[in-house]
Amino acid sequence: MRIAHSIQGRLLGLVLGLVVGIWFVTAMLAWVDVRHELDELLDSHLAQAAALLVVQQAREVEDGDPGLDAPTLHRYAPKVAFQVFHEGRLAMRSSNAPVMPMIDLGARATQGFADVEIAATRWRVFAAHGRERDVQVFVGEQLESRGSILRAVLRSALGPLLLAVPLLALTVWWSVRQGVSPLRRLGITLAERRPQDLQSIAVDGMPAEMKPMLDALNGLFSRIAQLMDSERRFTADAAHELRTPIAGIRAQAQVALAATADAERTHALQSTLQGCDRATRLIEQLLTLARLEAGISPEFSAVDLASMARKVIADLAPLAFAKQQVVGLDAVAPSEVEGDETLLSVMVRNLVDNAIRYSPDGASVVVRIEREGDSIILRVEDSGPGMVATDVARLGQRFFRVVGSGQRGSGLGWSIVLRVAAVHGADVQARAMEAPRTGMVVEARFASR
Amino acid sequence: MRILLAEDDLLLGDGLRAGLRQLGFLVDWVRDGDAAERELRGQPYAAAVLDLGLPLKDGMEVLSSARRAGVTLPVLVLTARDAVPDRVRGLDVGADDYVVKPVDLNELAARLRALVRRAHGQPQECLSAHGVSLDPAARTVTLAGKPVTLSAREFDLLHALMLNAGRIMSREQIEQHLYSWGQEVDSNAVEVHIHHLRRKLGGALIQTVRGVGYMLASLQPGAR
Repeated sequence: MRIAHSIQGRLLGLVLGLVVGIWFVTAMLAWVDVRHELDELLDSHLAQAAALLVVQQAREVEDGDPGLDAPTLHRYAPKVAFQVFHEGRLAMRSSNAPVMPMIDLGARATQGFADVEIAATRWRVFAAHGRERDVQVFVGEQLESRGSILRAVLRSALGPLLLAVPLLALTVWWSVRQGVSPLRRLGITLAERRPQDLQSIAVDGMPAEMKPMLDALNGLFSRIAQLMDSERRFTADAAHELRTPIAGIRAQAQVALAATADAERTHALQSTLQGCDRATRLIEQLLTLARLEAGISPEFSAVDLASMARKVIADLAPLAFAKQQVVGLDAVAPSEVEGDETLLSVMVRNLVDNAIRYSPDGASVVVRIEREGDSIILRVEDSGPGMVATDVARLGQRFFRVVGSGQRGSGLGWSIVLRVAAVHGADVQARAMEAPRTGMVVEARFASR
Repeated sequence: MRILLAEDDLLLGDGLRAGLRQLGFLVDWVRDGDAAERELRGQPYAAAVLDLGLPLKDGMEVLSSARRAGVTLPVLVLTARDAVPDRVRGLDVGADDYVVKPVDLNELAARLRALVRRAHGQPQECLSAHGVSLDPAARTVTLAGKPVTLSAREFDLLHALMLNAGRIMSREQIEQHLYSWGQEVDSNAVEVHIHHLRRKLGGALIQTVRGVGYMLASLQPGAR
């Protein structure tokens, strides 16, 4: 069964249930106690009455009518009966008492309490005898009357309670409602918010119990605001970055159209193609990053970094040859890591591509794969001009470029590298080579399989 | 017309320089903010095309500090930032025109010519004096309604003199108008061009002020 998830409902149920339960237990205990005391009291009255009858019978044995009844003096009197037997004969009885002894004694005289049934009515009977055992007295009382006394006692005790329960329910309901009203107000406040409104909710004046929740909520709001802000900035920056190559392509194409000299036209057309390549690369990077950030679930399998790096280098070699650069791979076997092959190859491609682009003609670019304890380290080293520490710190800031690099990258490559590394739990660091060597080293540390 | 182009993107800068040259401009191209500011303050350009996302110093800063330094030449801001607040800020800081990339080269050239014309107080595109009419857009010159063939330098020289009609231009000023960086200037080049112009358009048009420079006397708005 589904439990209603309302704090108000649960509190109301708990409080009312407990109160009524405790009352009920108290009433049960009172019932047991009252019945015991009542039994004691009434039994003692029976015994007392029996004793009186015995004494009286012993003093005056007369031969009057044995049917002579005692007068009915109280409305409860019919519920009490007595019999007096003298030497086995009925000497006296109340009008509601039977002729036969209430307890079948046989020949023996007896003394004590017994519960008997006479004419479909249950009686509590006390039997007593005189000292010479010639007088036998029975005093009986209908058990039913004890029941009605008990019920009356309980009625007077529990009656007001039955009246109190609805009243109590009402007051408890009201109090609980008051108690949870800050929650309800918060709900209304949140429901009325516009989706773009990511302001913090005021914590002042809120109950202490709600503060952790509000703090968490405000934390979430500020994280979402940051995320949205970075998305907005990204879209603006991306539009900005795409316009420039397109403006370049357009200008070059117009120059080619209007050119009168062949050399001029050829140069403009080649520049147009370069612009297309750059725009393509930018769009590819933007898409890759968008996919990575959309949180596509990577497909993990065993990936051999060395053979993957070999493929990437083979793909990019023409780019390096065009700049008379030397590219190479220096790998130890085995170099298997757990990862998504497509993503890892995007990462390595970006690193090698960057190294080739930002290194001058004739430089060398080397990919090294080494094992260090439980880790496999992939290093991309170049012999380019390197970077100053402040520029290294700004890597990964989107669209940040190193001044004077001569190459116009988008700065997206490093964001992609970091994102892929994060997916694989790898640690990536970039630093300038230690003197006397120049150039950059980018180091990615993976856990080996 | 000599133009300063400040653009850090190699492809776009190269394209703009080539395109504007085809359309008759002399283009000096700088690739960062510091160089742009230095050139704006130091050289007598007719106008400047300024990208905002420049390295070293943002284009907006370059513009505002140049304006504070009293640089009055017309500046056309060419940028990828298309948001209205960016445009407003650019114009407020001192841009004379604000163009969002990508831009048509012919439109860019027309805007530059318009900026230069307005900067010289000329409401019309065509300049005219003493029966000589000059159309900067078509780069054509007529004398008494008949077309006259001028070389590019001669045209630029006539254009500069007509824009500055009534003012004396020194030989150095004229040279700076006619030649961009790295171009060899013969010591008597200006005299030679003036001589050619007088031969083609008549001797009375350009007056020599000895030891000072040259002047084009008066100018009436001319019809095409």
